[in-house]
Amino acid sequence: MVGSVGMKIGKDLLGVLILSLLLASVPFLIGFDQYYILIMARALIFAVFVVAWNIIGGYAGQLDLAAFAYIGLGGIVAAELLTFFGLTPWVGMFVGAAVAIALAVVIGYPTFRFGIKEVWYALLTSSLVVILNNIFHLDQLLGSLDHYLPTPPPGQEWLYIKFPVYEYIYWVIVAALAVTMFINIKISNSKTGYYLRAIREDELAAEALGIDVRKYKLKALISYAGILGFMGYLFIVIEGTYSYHTFNSPQSIMVAIMGIIGGLGSIGGAFTSALLLKVVEEYLRGTFGSTIPGLHLLLYGILLILVGIFKPDGLAGIYEWFKKKYLSSRGKEVSGK
Amino acid sequence: MDPALIANNVIDGVLMGMLYSLIALGLALIFGVMDIINFAHGDFVMIAAYLAWVFAMATFIDPSVMAIITVPLFFVIGLAIYKLVIEPVLGAEPLIQIAVTVGLGYVLQNMALAVWKAEPKSFPDPWFNYSIELGPISLSVAKLLGALISAISLILIHYLLTRTKFGLAVRATSANREVAPLMGISVKKVYGITFGIGTALTALGAALYMAWGQTNPYLGASFSLLSWVIVAMGGLGGVIGVFFSGLIVGVLEAMGNTFVSPSARLAVVYLAFFLILWFRPRGLFAKR
Amino acid sequence: MSWSGEIILEVNDVVKRFGGIVAVNKVNFNVRKGEILGLVGPNGAGKTTLFNCITGVYKPEEGKIVFKGEEITGLPPHKIAAKGIARTWQKVRPFKKMTVIDAVVVGVLLRTNDLAAARKKAEEMLRFIGFPEEKFHYKGKDITLMEHKLVDLARAIATDPTLLLLDEVAAGLRPHEMDRLAEILKKINEEKGITMIVVEHVMRFVMGLSQRMVVMHEGQKIAEGTPEEIANNPKVIEAYLGTKPV
Repeated sequence: MVGSVGMKIGKDLLGVLILSLLLASVPFLIGFDQYYILIMARALIFAVFVVAWNIIGGYAGQLDLAAFAYIGLGGIVAAELLTFFGLTPWVGMFVGAAVAIALAVVIGYPTFRFGIKEVWYALLTSSLVVILNNIFHLDQLLGSLDHYLPTPPPGQEWLYIKFPVYEYIYWVIVAALAVTMFINIKISNSKTGYYLRAIREDELAAEALGIDVRKYKLKALISYAGILGFMGYLFIVIEGTYSYHTFNSPQSIMVAIMGIIGGLGSIGGAFTSALLLKVVEEYLRGTFGSTIPGLHLLLYGILLILVGIFKPDGLAGIYEWFKKKYLSSRGKEVSGK
Repeated sequence: MDPALIANNVIDGVLMGMLYSLIALGLALIFGVMDIINFAHGDFVMIAAYLAWVFAMATFIDPSVMAIITVPLFFVIGLAIYKLVIEPVLGAEPLIQIAVTVGLGYVLQNMALAVWKAEPKSFPDPWFNYSIELGPISLSVAKLLGALISAISLILIHYLLTRTKFGLAVRATSANREVAPLMGISVKKVYGITFGIGTALTALGAALYMAWGQTNPYLGASFSLLSWVIVAMGGLGGVIGVFFSGLIVGVLEAMGNTFVSPSARLAVVYLAFFLILWFRPRGLFAKR
Repeated sequence: MSWSGEIILEVNDVVKRFGGIVAVNKVNFNVRKGEILGLVGPNGAGKTTLFNCITGVYKPEEGKIVFKGEEITGLPPHKIAAKGIARTWQKVRPFKKMTVIDAVVVGVLLRTNDLAAARKKAEEMLRFIGFPEEKFHYKGKDITLMEHKLVDLARAIATDPTLLLLDEVAAGLRPHEMDRLAEILKKINEEKGITMIVVEHVMRFVMGLSQRMVVMHEGQKIAEGTPEEIANNPKVIEAYLGTKPV
């Protein structure tokens, strides 16, 4: 019973390892086709965002709609450091993460006061992205133009993390995904994880058990913002350019939507829904983009409503339901998180 | 800066503020009574604006007059949305409740986009969209009308809430959801009707707006924001709180338009919103 | 019965107002270490409000609350819990999606960071309370009302409190369940030495349990003493029945 926690972590980590190896092998399997590797990279980086979002949304239960505030800020900081000071993004990404964390604390500290209703956090975070968008639109900052990352001199691609082909950045993202999943697993099986689950269930009861709700929500927020801030540069590399548009509100909401559809608190759910929905989005945009723009958003809206009403545990809940039905040799034991 | 320009902007802000109050009142009612977090509120305005426009184009009557049709229609639509989308998630965790309304907003936005495309729509021959000049002051009749009708509606709703039996039921339910049934109040009925009224109010505001404005699928975003700021500022102050907050927001927006830039006027409101949420106005604390 | 026990909680002239209503009006009493104190009064007497002032949910407008010699007035709930005051809930607040054992682990984690040790202690707590072992892995949404109250109790005492506040814990229970609960509470008090304040409506339950009682009415303390003294106190009878005894 006591050792089962350790065993569970071991099982989960093995799963992450296997998944990573599978994902890493994809470029080989498709003959290094650049078009599809790029699509996969785009989908996978979103998967990293959603798995990170799971920490604030799934574990802490806060509807954060500011993903691209942190991605944009971290990424732009790293990009500008590279452009103006030649600082390698390997350091710049950490600086970006630190800046994103600073912003997160500024947002979270007053907002996570005891007794503030959840909706205000959702509204605050969605307006944050718009504010940053407007601020960076100013000519003193990024202005209206698209900015490009400097091209690395030959031999320095790894220093710039910018390559003429997409598979290397793809593999970096696979590694980032593995690390993000690992962070989720660690948090979930720690005191912080227990406390966050309690907070999500019932903040009042959690407070009465001695839990400093604000402190733990901040911990979750900092982890999430730090990961996103770090990944920002990689996102810019894939997109090719950066501008005030990087602070993208609809895409931030998408991250949250994917997290909810995947199932709050489920790492596998977050990954699956991000991959699935991103691929579907690319397909729908490609096929119907001109005739019915926004079709994918319409579908996601309907999906979100259906999930919220009928299956609030999302894909993860559906998966658990399947498991119970078809592996019923487990008997009546109701366990697990 | 030219004082006449400033004066005109303030007046414009006041008139707009009244309209915003009307639209925000719908949200305040719904949020205040049932703790329902409706992210799609602005999108209700958007759809109502489109419908007013559609009826106007079919009859050649000004869209603001079409309120006669759209307001009762939206009361019914509000009831339907409550029954289908809101009631099922009343017991769910807040994140799920919000998420469902986010989904609703997406559905409305993209339905509008699919049907009417992205180009803004407005009524080509508005009846009231002219100004009367009083010396240096220029008053838009359409906005004046909108403000007037908004004010009357606010007074009517205030009367409804404070002096009628239904209003009493609403206030009792909002104060204590568990005890209300013991007094013979059907909580679900109160919720449904309140949601219907809230939605109908947005339809009225939308129709009045179309007397001079234009609609597009993304109109919802700005109205949502304005409504939320007003609710955040007005707090639990009832109709009066909403009224004054609306005025302040209207003037704030007008100031942003004049002193910063037209495109940044919303950003100014966003910033104000952000700052409000950061400090501690009474309206933000959970009722316990 | 005279007590020479030390005083661990002092409620000094506490006043709590909501708008124009004075819910708690200069209430004064002490709680002695190791005792079970009953806090009773008719509906609207202000018991729950006072309860919430002690646990930090409300901040009193006037007065002081002193715990183990330290002033705790106005501190946030989690700090008060850390100092050693635990509480249970009138309307059960289960952790619906967490298992029973995990819920108690949350309580234990207040005093340790070691998850493995916490799980062991959680199991001990549940066994001590008498919660059926085969249901340790049941989720919060799958247990009965009585089981909820047991988990609530186990969760609370898992935080290793000095003082435990019980908010109308007998509500909704059948007589034999109430008796069982009273036995468990006595066991907690005697074997773990936890002092208790039992806010209660069900007189039979609280009178059999408390060694001393405080009676509130319309925000004020109107009587204090042993259960027998309280039962015969004309002011108390008048408060409950609304008429003077003949």
